[in-house]
Amino acid sequence: MRGKRVAAVGVAGLTVLAIAGCGSGKTGDGGGGGAGLVVGTTDKVTSLDPAMAYDNGSLLAETQVYQFLLNFPAGEAAPKPDAADKCEFTTPTVYTCTLKPGLKFANGDPLTAKSVKFSFDRMVGIKNPQGPSALLVGLDHTDAPDDKTVAFTLKNANDQTFPAILPTQAAAIVDEKVFPADKVLADEDIVKAKPFSGPYTIASYDKNKLVSYQSNPDYNGLFGKPKTDTVTVKYYAEAANLKLDVQQGNVDVAWHTLTPTDIDSLRNSDKVTVHQSPGGDTRYIVFNLNTQPGGTPAQKLAVRKAVATSVDRDALSADVFKGTWTPLYSPVPQGLPGATEAFKDIYGAKPNKDAATKLLADAGVATPVTLNIQYNTDHYGSTSSEEYAAIKSQLESTGLFKVNLQSTEWVSYQKARSTDGYPIFQFGWFPDFPDADDYLTPFFTADNFLQNHFTDPKITDELKAEVTEADPAKRAAVLASIQHDLMADFMPIVPLLTGNQIAVAGKSVQGVDKTLDPSSKFRFGVLSK
Amino acid sequence: MSARLLRYLGVRLLLIVPTAWILVTVVFFLMRVVGDPITAALGGRLPPDQLAQRKHDAGLDRPILSQYWDYISGLARGDFGRSQDNRAVSDIITTYGAATLELVFWSLLVAFAIGVPLGRYAATRRDSAADAGLRLFAILAYAAPVFFVGLLLKLLFSVKLGWLPVSGRASTNVELALQHVSPKTNILFVDAILYGDMGYLGDVLKHTVLPAFSLGLLTAGVFLRLVRINLIQTLRSDYVDAARARGLSARVVTRRHAFRNALIPIVTVMGMYIATMLGGAVLTERTFEWKGLGYQLTELLTARDFIAVQGIVAFIALVVAVMSFVMDVIVALIDPRVRF
Repeated sequence: MRGKRVAAVGVAGLTVLAIAGCGSGKTGDGGGGGAGLVVGTTDKVTSLDPAMAYDNGSLLAETQVYQFLLNFPAGEAAPKPDAADKCEFTTPTVYTCTLKPGLKFANGDPLTAKSVKFSFDRMVGIKNPQGPSALLVGLDHTDAPDDKTVAFTLKNANDQTFPAILPTQAAAIVDEKVFPADKVLADEDIVKAKPFSGPYTIASYDKNKLVSYQSNPDYNGLFGKPKTDTVTVKYYAEAANLKLDVQQGNVDVAWHTLTPTDIDSLRNSDKVTVHQSPGGDTRYIVFNLNTQPGGTPAQKLAVRKAVATSVDRDALSADVFKGTWTPLYSPVPQGLPGATEAFKDIYGAKPNKDAATKLLADAGVATPVTLNIQYNTDHYGSTSSEEYAAIKSQLESTGLFKVNLQSTEWVSYQKARSTDGYPIFQFGWFPDFPDADDYLTPFFTADNFLQNHFTDPKITDELKAEVTEADPAKRAAVLASIQHDLMADFMPIVPLLTGNQIAVAGKSVQGVDKTLDPSSKFRFGVLSK
Repeated sequence: MSARLLRYLGVRLLLIVPTAWILVTVVFFLMRVVGDPITAALGGRLPPDQLAQRKHDAGLDRPILSQYWDYISGLARGDFGRSQDNRAVSDIITTYGAATLELVFWSLLVAFAIGVPLGRYAATRRDSAADAGLRLFAILAYAAPVFFVGLLLKLLFSVKLGWLPVSGRASTNVELALQHVSPKTNILFVDAILYGDMGYLGDVLKHTVLPAFSLGLLTAGVFLRLVRINLIQTLRSDYVDAARARGLSARVVTRRHAFRNALIPIVTVMGMYIATMLGGAVLTERTFEWKGLGYQLTELLTARDFIAVQGIVAFIALVVAVMSFVMDVIVALIDPRVRF
């Protein structure tokens, strides 16, 4: 009899599952109803506290709930006033902002100049290693002479990058009555206290599972009233599940990050639209100037140039990335003020075997040159394997190179690449802020972030000059000169590809195109269906 | 309850302590073999002085035995450590563990519902084509990677037929609604019942079908083979022969005399297979976006949050030890022979 009971329980269980499978739910209808517009993403929130968050997942949340003095209007690369009424250099070293009147947080606390000063002092004071405080390295101190005026004293006169830093995660304005001055606040406490003054507030928060945003009626800033009152973000571990859910209408918009193959297949779907616009991410090959192949500096330069002219960027873009990344011909991606295509202008867009052969021959480099190239998949994505397999094939097909590839996990990779461990290695850059300087100064000054031993006095001087050049036209000219010289005379990196901002949305969703731009800010307020 | 049974259970209860101690000790030292957790998580991202400070703050610059003592005494107090983002690991366990418990519950039900009747069917038709087919099915079910089975089921029932959801524990609006249930159990079908909406319950169960089948099939294969083998052996025993000699039909003999005894080994190994299921749950949860402990474990591993990983793995080790004890108790209750 007991055996029968066991079987009966089993059958009953299966019956329940089967009934459920047939669908009995009056409410099980996908992402509609109380969820509003549903956005799916694989990015994760590190923290809602700006002092500890410096990643895309946290940026997505911060973009909706915090206000900034300046912000990037949808589709534009130049910052405009958000919480500020206006911002300007009042002396060469003082950048002054005046706040809009009547600003307040969702909990009723007033947002004043003291809130702004508190936010900047707190960011610099906490200096959390996982946070973005390093972006404020050019800030000497912040003053709030009255409730509406904030004065930033900068270390360098006429620092033209500072306005572009004000819309970043380092500059989110927080409520001084809620956030402690000297430590990070837990997400749950932030959600409970509602210290939000952005277009949305957080209505419910299940970290990295399901977060619901509600439009903030008190928001008074650049983006205006959101088109959709409720937006819910659903977090995914697997891009494949996100792809299927957007295809089946269970999420309205898929944002960050579907694989190139998935995006390519969704382009053929009649249920969704793939929205794409130029982004700010870049991928390079970096040469360690001390340990790369070549006996003399001239030979080393010839090797770098020969590699650069042998790589087929169009093929990488089309075959490996299915058009989700596009060819890059300068360290600075197209779309930013001052960007040029210096490499294409000097060497041409297509690979040129004859030119590569001549470069090596003229420098007396024996061929084939052995290139030991390191790449990484756990930080730059699994597609790196295909990318570097293609690069190996392209380089070896010239007969000029013999390529050895090796992949290493990120922590070891970071350590080894910065301690002369790798002669040639993959590198990617996710910009801190959309300004050409962010693609140049960190990499091409002495003791640069790449730690590849590149330094040149003229380039260093030009970099200092462009940062403090107030005239946009003159600044663009200096930036162009830097990019030209880097590609013509040094080639310390080989620019390969720049990423596009891509979102996939149901056919009924509107406004996605408006928020795709190099700022990487995905603004829920422009979306509707 | 007899004194002998109490003594048996007492001994088994005492054995949990060394079992759990060995398990968590192995976990602790294995995690140290790969280096200290702070360097693993933040190495390359922090300058050496800040890295050293973080290690100091976490007590990782102290002698290993001192760290070990803190770890063990913390566990004894229910303190499994804190994650990189300063969450108590015990909170992570309670928040996400309920989802895994729910998945394992339904999967066990599937395993029983499939494995036991099919095992019985195969045993009573020994060496027939059906028996051979079922044995092959059992081997395939056990050997097939759980994520592969999950993907196949998803492709068929979600993508091609559109009968079942692709992933998740519930539809977005249902999950949002169930966040406000009080008291909230995080076991969604219970929360849906507490919410009092059968539509929500149906939605939750609909999302449960594919993950439960994917994980349940893994164990169903084992149950099928165990029931089959034990039933065949039991059917050959003297007391079954005696029952037959009394004129009872083969069906009655199987049902009343053999089948119950054939189930005992299943209970014995169930504890072990719950551990297997916890391992399988890691992959199943990832495949179906089932936000449970296994899913969280993979997220923490990706973030190299090894202190949190160590806490969760230690918890799973403790669950296995406790489940082993529970199974011993159940077997002792239904089979008096084991008490000797």
